[in-house]
Amino acid sequence: MSGPRRRGATASPDRARLAAALLVALAAAAPASAQSFLGFRALGVPVRALDARAAAAGNLGIGLAGVEISSADPAASARLLFPTFSVTMQPSWGSFDLDDQSGTSRTTRLPLLGIGYPVRSVGGVVTASLSGHLEQRWVAKRRSTVVLNEVEVDVEDSYRNDGGTSVLRVGWAQRIGSRLSLGASAGTYLGRLERVFDRELDSLAVGGEVYSFREQHAWNYSGYLVSAGFNADPHPLIHLAGAATWSGALRELPLDDAPGEGRYSVPVRLSAGTTARLSPRLALSLSGAYQDWAASDGFLAGVTSGRKWSYGAGAEWHVIDSESRSLPIRFGYRRLAPPFRFESEDPLESIWSLGAGLNLVETEDNRRLGWVDLAFERGSRRSAPLDERFLRATVTVGISRF
Amino acid sequence: MNERTPAVPAGPGRRMLAVALLAAAGACSEALPTVERDDLVRSGFATEVILEYDEFASGARVYGGYGRPSDLGAGFVAHDYGSRAGGGEGAQEGLEASSLLRFGRYPRSAQVLDTTGANVPDSMLTFLFGRLVLRFDSLSSVHNDEPVEIVAHALTEPWDGATAGWQYAIDSVGHRELWSVPGGGAVEEIGAAVWDPETGDSIRIRVDSAWIAAWADTTDNRRGVRVGTTTPGVRLRVTAALLRLETRPSVNPDTIVQVPSSTENRTFIYAPVPRPPLKTLRVGGVPAWRTVMDLDVPTVLDRPDELCEVVGCPVGITADHVSFAALRFTTRPGVRSFAPSDTLSLDLRSVLAPDFLPKSPLGPSLSGPFGTLVPPEWFQPPAAEVVEIPVTGLVRDLLRGETVDGDPVSGTIAVLSAFEPLSVEYMSFDGPTSPAAPTLRLVLNFSLDGGT
Repeated sequence: MSGPRRRGATASPDRARLAAALLVALAAAAPASAQSFLGFRALGVPVRALDARAAAAGNLGIGLAGVEISSADPAASARLLFPTFSVTMQPSWGSFDLDDQSGTSRTTRLPLLGIGYPVRSVGGVVTASLSGHLEQRWVAKRRSTVVLNEVEVDVEDSYRNDGGTSVLRVGWAQRIGSRLSLGASAGTYLGRLERVFDRELDSLAVGGEVYSFREQHAWNYSGYLVSAGFNADPHPLIHLAGAATWSGALRELPLDDAPGEGRYSVPVRLSAGTTARLSPRLALSLSGAYQDWAASDGFLAGVTSGRKWSYGAGAEWHVIDSESRSLPIRFGYRRLAPPFRFESEDPLESIWSLGAGLNLVETEDNRRLGWVDLAFERGSRRSAPLDERFLRATVTVGISRF
Repeated sequence: MNERTPAVPAGPGRRMLAVALLAAAGACSEALPTVERDDLVRSGFATEVILEYDEFASGARVYGGYGRPSDLGAGFVAHDYGSRAGGGEGAQEGLEASSLLRFGRYPRSAQVLDTTGANVPDSMLTFLFGRLVLRFDSLSSVHNDEPVEIVAHALTEPWDGATAGWQYAIDSVGHRELWSVPGGGAVEEIGAAVWDPETGDSIRIRVDSAWIAAWADTTDNRRGVRVGTTTPGVRLRVTAALLRLETRPSVNPDTIVQVPSSTENRTFIYAPVPRPPLKTLRVGGVPAWRTVMDLDVPTVLDRPDELCEVVGCPVGITADHVSFAALRFTTRPGVRSFAPSDTLSLDLRSVLAPDFLPKSPLGPSLSGPFGTLVPPEWFQPPAAEVVEIPVTGLVRDLLRGETVDGDPVSGTIAVLSAFEPLSVEYMSFDGPTSPAAPTLRLVLNFSLDGGT
């Protein structure tokens, strides 16, 4: 038995169990938080489940050469050499203007967890990922008065929305020769939404200790989706990728005595991207996605956006490129189309990004075996009268042969 | 594709992963964006409902006999207080009340200055005479702003400091002895003084040496003092009654010092004793009265109209809907003799074992440490003021069927004095058959389905 080959070609049962345990342990933390008022009458705002490399390079998660694990590109992992795990952490700080009000927010999220597990005997890779999808996390308040016992009593209402959906995917990425890979994945929507309505009356005006009124309802999300895609390298300097995702209805199932059951159709998402290597150290990437929410069922009239296209572009330059290590820097820009309006204006999200990576161990053909990527994004979302801005940091740590 | 196996040790990879996981777990601070905007908030509706007595309660009754005058720690003196002349139902007999005192063993020694000026203990004391010091509560006493004559009499019949009343000198279980004359039996006058409320809150009455000598025998259960008044139309609260002994010390016979005597018993007796109410509710007094009733808060409402218009009727009520609940009692003037002259406080407690009433144990106070304060003016004619006792927690428990801790909840409640007994005065409220019967005020909240 060849020791090195055994270590490199297959993973022991212990490693498989470790990989599974990591995914399960982090599942609870994975739902991300977009913290936006956008889509408050629908399903919230999309969580861009990107790792730090794609975020810094202005990519939409498809078409970036040398990607190890991607939730949006089912074929991306086809050329993994070893069991690989990556986790992405994303602290963000937001601010908003709404009419004459302004405010701030902050959160930390884990938008993407992924694992790839090569099966060398058939030249493919089993993939699994848990990624953020849609989120709605905000609090709204209202002050008013009611007349009780001929006394005007101040009332403060608070309405807290907290939750969203994630997607758990399992897929297969298959190498076809040295230039083509195909991939497919199937996933299920996970998640939960809690809505808490709190009403407090001024106890002095009522005449005694007043209990706040609280109504709390929760819903679970369910549904399924499938994706298929390809990666191709028609020329040593060109990398192409494309994917399509079909989704069944996203179902909102009430828990206990929660009212109503939601059933929302999610349109097909088509995405494609490319990377062109301009020099041994410099590469440019372009990516775009099409998704038409306008005709989706289940939403209130006038909620879905008419915008269909999202795109992004960026560059990656290896400042240091030694035999087994490299240090790339990246920058990019993305222009995204969130699916749901605030009021009547189609929303638009634009993000400028900058980042760097530290590829700790690389193979001769620049396959990374251990890396840390960092991205900083400055973005804005606008759907009048809502104007939101955010500063986001993304850190991704990935390892192979763990 | 190069498939060589790089020399990557597994250890560093695991450490990187551990660091990443720790960083992720530690970075969890969060602040949700918050905005004040109507169309983002679900609609709410608040309303007030007044439930009539029959809708939420039954079995209102009054129990008496809790505590004794000797438990009060204070005394009363009154003479023809609150009487109303005339025949028929309008006539009321005035209140007569006296305080009874029994002093304990005299001090056996005292620290005194001797002829050299040294402070030495002296156990050879000679008690010359005494001074009875009485202090009155000038605020809660009813004296019509006129001087009041206070008379002290020596008791001559055996009496029990814990159970003595107007009729009985001893009224303990299995042993009753009447006074020879109601109100303290045969007595001998010790002295008198006039208390002028404008000049102070206390008086002194000299007690001559014969009585001081007689009371030195602590085995004599006849010893004692009755303090009363001869001024009609007054009811005074005695807050303190002391006996100070004028004493000649053996170490310095040329001086006289005062030493206090302990008080062994302090109680008061009064007449007439109020009769149990037939149609009204009563709280307070000595012995104390309690009002008990059984609550059955409805879980479904079909009024008021504004609730039905917005929420739709019938509407189910749960504990969560009740933001505030209060029992409301309407004050009545009551008997003048026992009408409150100072602020009283009401307490409300659950009756834990209704089957054992009137001796059922009660739950903790539901009205806070000081209860619900009720001013005395509310019981002066025409009264009819509404006293509101918050019972939100209790009503929520009743609607839930258990306490928030999962313990059983009793639907029987007792309304009593916050400190029992507190005063000879008691509070009267309209009963369940009165048009002003007790009501339950509810402040209810609902959320309404909205666009968000």
